[in-house]
Amino acid sequence: MAAEKEIPSGASSATASHRPVHSDTAAKWFLMSSVVYFFVVGVIALIIAAKFVWPELLGTIPMFSYGRLRPLHVNGMLFGWLLAADMGLVFYFVPRLCGVKLYSEKLGVATAVLWNAIVLGAVVSLLMGWNQGFEYAELPLVLDVAVVVAWILFGVNVFGTVFTRRYPQMYVSLWYTMGCILWTAFVYLTGNFATLFTTGVNQANLNWMYVHNAVGLIFTPVGLALAYYFIPKAGNIPLYSHKLSMIGFWSLAFFYVWTGAHHMIHGPISQWLQTISIAFSLMLLLPVWTVVYNFFATMKGHWPLTRDNVPLKFLMSGVVFYLLTCFQGPMHSLRSVNAIVSKTDWIPGHAHMAVLGAFSFFAIAGVYYSIPRIFHTKLYSDALANWSYWLAMIGGIGFFVTLWLGGFWQGWQWNNPAIPFIDTVVALKPIWAVRFFSGVLIFGGIATFLYNILATVIHAGPRPQEAVHA
Amino acid sequence: MADYTYPSIYFAYFLFFLFLAGALYFFLRSFRDGYWGATSEDVKYQMLKDEEAEGHGS
Repeated sequence: MAAEKEIPSGASSATASHRPVHSDTAAKWFLMSSVVYFFVVGVIALIIAAKFVWPELLGTIPMFSYGRLRPLHVNGMLFGWLLAADMGLVFYFVPRLCGVKLYSEKLGVATAVLWNAIVLGAVVSLLMGWNQGFEYAELPLVLDVAVVVAWILFGVNVFGTVFTRRYPQMYVSLWYTMGCILWTAFVYLTGNFATLFTTGVNQANLNWMYVHNAVGLIFTPVGLALAYYFIPKAGNIPLYSHKLSMIGFWSLAFFYVWTGAHHMIHGPISQWLQTISIAFSLMLLLPVWTVVYNFFATMKGHWPLTRDNVPLKFLMSGVVFYLLTCFQGPMHSLRSVNAIVSKTDWIPGHAHMAVLGAFSFFAIAGVYYSIPRIFHTKLYSDALANWSYWLAMIGGIGFFVTLWLGGFWQGWQWNNPAIPFIDTVVALKPIWAVRFFSGVLIFGGIATFLYNILATVIHAGPRPQEAVHA
Repeated sequence: MADYTYPSIYFAYFLFFLFLAGALYFFLRSFRDGYWGATSEDVKYQMLKDEEAEGHGS
C-alpha cells in the first residue's frame, strides 16, 4: 500500500482516525442542478426530434425554430448536464482519492452558482438568437469569459485539493481530472477566442480542432476519470492494471489533439493535414483499447454483479459504447468511408453514442452511486433505477443504430448525382420517425432518473449501515 | 480591416507547444515518481478503502 504522507496543516480537519469528513456541499449544488438540466434539455431534444417528423410543429415562432433550439440542446446537454455533473462528481471523488477535504467548499459553491448563471444566460441568449455561429462555440463572448472564470475557480479547487493530498501516489482518475482541467483551458481558449480573429479555412480548422477536442480532451478524460473511479468502487473490485491505465492516459495526451482536421477531409485543407489527422485518428485505437481492456479485465469473473448493480450496469454499458464510438471515429476518418458518411445522419448517431451512450452513462452511474452516499440515505427505488437504465439503453440503441443506417443510406444517395436532394430528404422520413420514438424512450429514462434522484434527496434520512458498505 | 489570422494561429501554436512541453515534463517525471515501477499497482488498492466508514458529514 502507498505510504501515507503527514496530513498538511490546514488541509483538512481530520477526524480522530485521520479521515476527513466530507460535507460535499459543492458536489450537491452541481449534481442537483445538472440532473434538472438533463430533464429540461431532454424536453428540448424531444421537440427537435419531433420537428424532423412534423416540420410544422410550433409554427414559425423564431424562438422555437430548429436553428435556435438545436444549439440550445447541444450546449444545454454539454454544459448544463454533462460537464456540470462531471464537475460535481469530481468534487465528490477527488477529496476521497486524496484523503483530505475539498480545498474550499465555499469556492466550489461559488463556482456552481456562476455555472448556473452561465447556463441560464445561455438559455436566454440562444433562444434570442444571440449566437456566435460556431459549432459548440455558440455562446456569446461574455458567457465565454464567464466559462473561463468558472473553470479557473474549478481548477484552483481541484489542484488545491490534490496539492494537499495525504497519499503521494495519485490514482489514474486524478491524472485524467487534472489533464481535463489543463486541456480544457487550451481547447476552450483556442476554440472560443482564437477563432474570432481568424478567417476562412484557418478559422474552420481551428473550430473543428475545438469541436473534436471538446469531446476528446474535455469529456473523454473526465468521463474516463469517472469510469476508473466508479467501476472499482461500485463493484468493490480492484482495477486490473494501474500501469495499463497510465499507458492509456499518456497515449491520449499525445495523440488526441491532432485529430480535429479529420472533420474537413475532402475539404479545402492541405492533403498532408488531412493525412496527419487520419493517422492520429487511427493511433487513438491504442489508448481506447488500453482503457476498454482494463475495464473488461477488471470485470472478469465479476459480470454477475451487473445483474443487480445499476451503477455498474450503466458503467459497463458505457464502456461498450465507448469502444464502439471510438472504433467508429478512426474508421470514418478514412477517406473512403468519410466520402459516404460525412455530414450525414451517421454523425449525430456517432456523437450521441459518445456523449449519451458513453459519457452520460458514466455520469448517471456516478450520480446513482454518489447521491445516496452524499445525503446519507438509500436510493429511493432500485426498480426505478433499473427502469431508467433499460429505457435509456433501448432508446439509445434505437437512436444510434437508426441514425447509422439512415446516415449510410443518405450518404449513398448523396453520392448519386441522379437523385435530387429533396428526394433524399423525403426518403429519410421513416428513419426520423424511429429517431423520435427512440428519443421518447431515452427521455423516459431521463425522467425516471430525475424522479429517483429527487425522491432520494427528499426522503433522505438516517442511512442504514449495511447500505453504506453495499 | 486588420487580419489577425497569423497572430491567432501563432497563439494557438504557442499554447500547443506550452502544453506539449508540460506533458513531456510530467510524463518523464512519472517515471521518477514510481508510476511505472514495482509499487505502481498499490494505488488501485488504496482507492478501494471505504472512506464512507469515516463518519457522516454535515
